[in-house]
Amino acid sequence: MVAVGLVAVVTAVSCGSDDSNDTSATAAPTGSEPTAATDAGGTAAPAAEGRELVIARDMDINSLDLSRSYCDTCQIFNTAVYETLITVDPADPNKILARLATSWEGNADNTVFTFKLDPAATFTDGSPVEAKDVKWSWERLANVKASASYLMSGLNTLEAPDAATWGATFEAPNSAFLPIVAASYLGVINSDVATEQGASAAADADTADKAEEWFLANSAGSGPYTLESYTQGESLVLARNDQYWGPDKPVFPRVTFSQVKDSSSQLQQLQAGDADIAMQISLDSVSQLEGDSNVTTSVVDSFNYVYIALSPGAEGAEKLQDPNIRKAIVKAIDYDGAIESLVAGKGKKQASPIPNGFLGSADLTLPSYDLEGAKQLLADAGMADGFDLDATYPEANVYGVDFSLMMQKIQQDLVKVNINLQLTPVQFPEWADRIDAKGIPVTAVYFAPDHTDPSQYIQFFGEIPGSSWASRAGGGDAGTPLDNPKESELLATALASSGDARTQAYTDLGQQMIDDAIIVPIVNPQLVLATASDITGMHYSACCNLDLGLLGLAG
Amino acid sequence: MRRFILRRLAVMPLLLLGIVTIAFCISRLIPANPLASIVGERALNNDKIVAAAKARWGLNGSLPEQYFIYIKNLLTGDLGTSFRTRQPVTDDLLHRLPATLELAAGALLIGGVGGVALGAYAASRKDKPADHFSRGFALLGSSLPVFWIGLVFLFVLYARLGWFPGPGRLPPRTKPPDHVTGFYTIDSLLDGNFTLFRQSLHRLVLPCFVLGWAYMGQLSRLVRAAMLDEINADYVRTARAKGLAERLVMRRHVLRNAWLPTLTILGFSFAQLLTASVLTETIFQWNGIGSYAVQAANTLDFPAVNGVSLFAGLAFLLANLTTDVLYAVADPKIRLA
Amino acid sequence: MSLLSAEPRVIADATPRNTWTSPWKRVTVIGGMFVAVFWLIVVFTVQWWAPYAPLEAVGKRLQPPSWEHWFGTDALSRDVFTRTLYGARQTLPVSLAVIVSAVSIGTVLGAIAGFVGGRVDSLVMRLVDVTPAFPPIFLAMAVAAALGPGLRNAFVAMVIVWWPIYARLIRGQVQAVKHRDHIQAAVSIGATRWRILRKHVLPLSFTPALINATLDLGQVVILTATLSFLGLGAKPPSPEWGAMITDGAQFFYQWWIAVAPGIAILTVAMAFNFLGDGLRDALDVRAKR
Repeated sequence: MVAVGLVAVVTAVSCGSDDSNDTSATAAPTGSEPTAATDAGGTAAPAAEGRELVIARDMDINSLDLSRSYCDTCQIFNTAVYETLITVDPADPNKILARLATSWEGNADNTVFTFKLDPAATFTDGSPVEAKDVKWSWERLANVKASASYLMSGLNTLEAPDAATWGATFEAPNSAFLPIVAASYLGVINSDVATEQGASAAADADTADKAEEWFLANSAGSGPYTLESYTQGESLVLARNDQYWGPDKPVFPRVTFSQVKDSSSQLQQLQAGDADIAMQISLDSVSQLEGDSNVTTSVVDSFNYVYIALSPGAEGAEKLQDPNIRKAIVKAIDYDGAIESLVAGKGKKQASPIPNGFLGSADLTLPSYDLEGAKQLLADAGMADGFDLDATYPEANVYGVDFSLMMQKIQQDLVKVNINLQLTPVQFPEWADRIDAKGIPVTAVYFAPDHTDPSQYIQFFGEIPGSSWASRAGGGDAGTPLDNPKESELLATALASSGDARTQAYTDLGQQMIDDAIIVPIVNPQLVLATASDITGMHYSACCNLDLGLLGLAG
Repeated sequence: MRRFILRRLAVMPLLLLGIVTIAFCISRLIPANPLASIVGERALNNDKIVAAAKARWGLNGSLPEQYFIYIKNLLTGDLGTSFRTRQPVTDDLLHRLPATLELAAGALLIGGVGGVALGAYAASRKDKPADHFSRGFALLGSSLPVFWIGLVFLFVLYARLGWFPGPGRLPPRTKPPDHVTGFYTIDSLLDGNFTLFRQSLHRLVLPCFVLGWAYMGQLSRLVRAAMLDEINADYVRTARAKGLAERLVMRRHVLRNAWLPTLTILGFSFAQLLTASVLTETIFQWNGIGSYAVQAANTLDFPAVNGVSLFAGLAFLLANLTTDVLYAVADPKIRLA
Repeated sequence: MSLLSAEPRVIADATPRNTWTSPWKRVTVIGGMFVAVFWLIVVFTVQWWAPYAPLEAVGKRLQPPSWEHWFGTDALSRDVFTRTLYGARQTLPVSLAVIVSAVSIGTVLGAIAGFVGGRVDSLVMRLVDVTPAFPPIFLAMAVAAALGPGLRNAFVAMVIVWWPIYARLIRGQVQAVKHRDHIQAAVSIGATRWRILRKHVLPLSFTPALINATLDLGQVVILTATLSFLGLGAKPPSPEWGAMITDGAQFFYQWWIAVAPGIAILTVAMAFNFLGDGLRDALDVRAKR
């Protein structure tokens, strides 16, 4: 009796609620009526201030301290709040555009780079952006020894001959440097403000710098937005920088990243008008948005990909030492079927670890499904009866691809050539321990670029000394069976050349890695850009993910 | 009574120390690398970065060293800084505690009131269809996994019918009320913001019901049984013979004896609630301790894992103590050992 | 019922019994038996009559229920109905093994504790008290993290968590029974304690454990599914029911992927609950503590 009454009271009370979410959800999930941009309840900002932007996203923020940050959401944050000297055109990853620097040039052998800073550039507190700030910021990035610090490796000197000129020199040629400078982690921090808060760029910054906590609530940059507040697990709020010096003034008074974990919730919020941008809508559910006039969707190419890795040096993987067996595995995978199953067909095949669209990917042959060829190779190697392989992989669902589904699909494919994968999903820390300790015969990972230069892929995936995957796969040191000295040579050539010679070097490198048959890209998933219909300028950027400064409002 | 409570409270720190030690050992001894979450996959190969991270997060040194440092900090109230959120674990826990408490309180309320009501109703209509229906309803709640119930409710009542709002404590684009207790319902009332009160209450209904259904089921069975025993007891027959209205008989004599089973099951259900809240928070995207615990476990965030274990242990011990005390208060015949 | 119940769960329904004649009771018990037998048949014979294979891609992916696929297909084009049936082979044997092991360990330890008393009793009761101090999910997560995922390790975690209930139950029963006349008589004629335990005490004490075990099976099935849902139980591509629900959560709009295993769990849990109730009535237990 009482329980019924209680339920009745609660329902009665709630029915009077003005929750905009359920009024629009009573309409069919697709094609809901437009609801007011500011909701009809709660404490929303008054409409007179202008439209606030809400981005629904599963945030993976590890830090809001520019020098220590390293995540996809961090790239968006960093780009909006701090600025780099140069940036990359979203439409073409090989085209460089100005940002804080008005000119940039490298010398003939890519060892000395000089930048001229824009004299009009100022931080949020009005002070000018000077070369000393660039020096301080880049030194701090190198010296805090955080995940992005490797971008500064190989630097010889950093010089600021005067307040507006800035120079970097390298010992060895580094044609990758300009793309690296466009990476969001090389943004410029207001060194005076940061130093006051305990930040340090000295050689012992990894222990002496105490400012990370301050950065969780404050920012000190020159970008179009500033950090207003951050509540972990709930929201990240940026406020407009009204003193922004740049030519494109920021449009939105406030930008809120709202933590929404799953794709279906993001989709529902977008349709209800509760979010303006949904960034991780699953490729399977894009069709739910068709016909909805309030939502604009486009599917664009990305530079991310998921791959499997074959490690001959791992425990239990002796059979993989024969490169023909590895090539057989490469032939035995049904790539088109995988793309259909994993990303509803919205993805592309990729030839080598260098992503589609980067230098060196253009002329390579895409992999194809060749079951008979695979069987033949295995028979020739005496393995027609097949064998078992341990396939431990991290539980992950990234860029729209569910790893468990992917591994099950590959398992289904390999069963046809009698290779049986024993699937074991584990959490990421456990996977990391295993891959570095004993290695894993067959595993799955993903890669998203840190910057737009292909060299990062050789340095990470190539069979050269110092490469992560070379040591994981059981080789890499000079003289081991897997070591591919040609790749080291080609990389040095690529770093020292420019223009066509550089492109050719990377193309050759791509082919070498295909022949290594260690890293097998499975799919290069596309990205769904889903926004409210009145948002303009939505894009995907290779260096920065999303540049909030480029977004605007229609009408 | 007082001695009993004091004795239990005195033992508590020792038990907590034991729990923390076990959590510490388990988390450090499993074959997983916490640095993976701290520096990311790409930097694992870079010795300088790894060394700097180890030094920064106290992962240098032997296991006993790390243990003593941890205990030493614990005694000053410092639970360490979370690898994942980069904020003090104490802050993280305190920030999320009200969310879980609000959920648990709602679930206990729905389950408790619903359980007693359902059990009493079933007892009064014994063996009639109403009785069977009530018992069936109760049985359903404990025969289904909590996460499945949550998913189905969300799908039917939210995505398809739109009767309830979706996952999350507040509507999107809404700011929480000023923090007093952290309970959005209470705080919005204190703020005078009735719209926000209704909205947060509306969003509590589904997860609390999902969480409380199993409890409601168990409780209603016990209440029904206890009441059926009492209904046939002598003193009740006397009351009826004296001409007392049936409803008064039920309320005054029979319902009173429902207290004992309610309390009995309250304590045991608490542990179940903690467990189930982990699942419910994940499905309903509730930013509480349960989802924090899951993320901490998945990223091997040592300080957070240890902090949550400490908290869970403390909560459990306090719940047990409270139940035992209430039990003794309700039934003086029980001797507190 | 409560996983960590310190009290034997047979408190409830201790009214005088004439409910065997209640038609409703008979229906539920017989229904329960049918369902239980059905699932047993499935576990042993499904490979001969299931419509498809559980791991093979058959048809188009993410298809709603139809005549060809009674519960549609999942993301890898596998038939959901077939996978649900095969899932019984994952969940049920493990759950039964957990119950049997927990009851065995609990009975042995509880009986010894209850009969012998003294220090042995204290030791066992300490063990029994300590285990529930950890919420079982955390314990299971720890065990799974240490040993790796997989149903076998989940089994270990669940047994660790479940045996204290039976230990306490049996201990209580043994303590109650041990003072009965014929037991005292056996002691006085010098029968060994083992013999007394085995031949006299245990048969009298075991009934509540049996009833509890039957009622508990549903809970173990649910716990197995929960562990798999969290990624700690069955490994892919195994069609374990909890793992299937995880898949279903990911494909929210394709509701059939999660509904089929949920219904399976429901039928098993309810069936064994009815069976346990029927067993309790048949054995006429009035153990009220």
